[in-house]
Amino acid sequence: MILSIINSQLWSSAWPAGLTMLGLGGGFAVVLLIANEKLKVTVDPKVEQVHKALPNLDCGACGFAGCARYAKALLSDAKLLGKCAPGGPETAAKIADILNLQVSDSGPQKRPIVHCRAHTDDKTIYGIYQGIESCTAANALANVQACAFGCLGLGDCTRACKFDALHIVDGLATVDYHKCTGCTACSKACPRNLIEMVPFRFENMMTVACSSKETGKSTRAFCKVGCIGCGLCAKQSDLFKVEDNLARFDYARYQMTEKEEAAMKKCPTKVIIYRGKTAPEPEQPAGKTTVAANA
Amino acid sequence: MDTLNAVLMGFISVVLINNLVFTKFLGTCPYLGVSGRIDMAFGMGMAVTFVVTLSGTLTWMIDNWILMKLGLEVTRYVCFIVVIAGAVQLVEMYLRKFLPSLYESFGIFLPLITTNCVILGLCLFLNVWMIDNLLDAAVRSFGAGVGFTIAICIMAGIRENLNLADVPGCLKGAPITLITAGLLSLAFMGFAGMIR
Repeated sequence: MILSIINSQLWSSAWPAGLTMLGLGGGFAVVLLIANEKLKVTVDPKVEQVHKALPNLDCGACGFAGCARYAKALLSDAKLLGKCAPGGPETAAKIADILNLQVSDSGPQKRPIVHCRAHTDDKTIYGIYQGIESCTAANALANVQACAFGCLGLGDCTRACKFDALHIVDGLATVDYHKCTGCTACSKACPRNLIEMVPFRFENMMTVACSSKETGKSTRAFCKVGCIGCGLCAKQSDLFKVEDNLARFDYARYQMTEKEEAAMKKCPTKVIIYRGKTAPEPEQPAGKTTVAANA
Repeated sequence: MDTLNAVLMGFISVVLINNLVFTKFLGTCPYLGVSGRIDMAFGMGMAVTFVVTLSGTLTWMIDNWILMKLGLEVTRYVCFIVVIAGAVQLVEMYLRKFLPSLYESFGIFLPLITTNCVILGLCLFLNVWMIDNLLDAAVRSFGAGVGFTIAICIMAGIRENLNLADVPGCLKGAPITLITAGLLSLAFMGFAGMIR
């Protein structure tokens, strides 16, 4: 059987073919081997080390197209150290170790805060939006919802989040602070600029969860939990300031004292709430204080 | 003199009249994929020209001096692809060493020159056209590269200007590019039959 195959026509024409291919392949292998030696590109081993120290999520928070590019840029510019939001201070310290740099304390890590707390029941909606499922598209239309500042709840931020840390819960973008890495993708995605990156000095941060610059009267008319710019909080603590009918909180001087607690209690629409990993469930305002509830 | 004349005619033929992109519709992938910017298109053209010249000449030699002698024409495709892949690897190493910025901007399209139909197409056409001397084969291989460069640069020039043009919404992007490619082919087919 085997002998007949060896002696057959097939075999006699097969071995030159095999040898030719072998010769060709071998010849090119040798040429490429020589070329590889002659044209070797020496990559700085530090680039690889830095790349390994990075979390390899390619989220783009540093402003580069992926971790590899960031690692390369770090070598030439030490100022870029600490731009890696998901890695945080530990990664920065590791990289500083590799590159022989000093880590300057960049302060507490930043996390996003959604400046709106209106769920579907709290806000006035004129009609059912049936357009493209995107906040950017809906934002271009007037009157998708009464509030021109609040969360649209169509999930541009959810889609931007690579870490599954942001979800639309009952019409409101809600951050899961356990999963969040602070990559800033959501704050860039929001067409209404509701999401601000805030340095989290404590586990839970107090915040004014509203962005409405409407007058108090019109804000009350369309939202149960909007800031009406009454200024009660500003009277309690100088960390609050009312501008354009909207109370703002000074995150840079953030501290927790009784004054701020009092301001939170005084707020008639309960728009001053905690956000964070173990934030308590926000209080609902009393029904009679809102016009919308009475109407 | 006759040989020189024939070689020159062969060159013009493969560059303009039998342009592999415009009349044979080969190499359409990089032709549409890398023709966004004229400097990148030119770089791609140069890379393809180098690969096609090298592999066209080499494959002609292998085909005529080894495969045909041994009666191994069936292995043509495999042998040609080996030669092309080797040549592309050489180009890649060269670019990474000496032109890193071009190397970065090519990205995946550089190793994909291996599967560029212009190159394998030309290697096979050399046999179909019955080229019987090495000089002619080398010149035509080089001509095919030049033809590809011309095609991709014209395309890139048009597309750069198209970016500024007021294109109807439904035709923006890929559709207008395909229409442009079709019209360009139509124009170049006007040369058909001038030289065989």
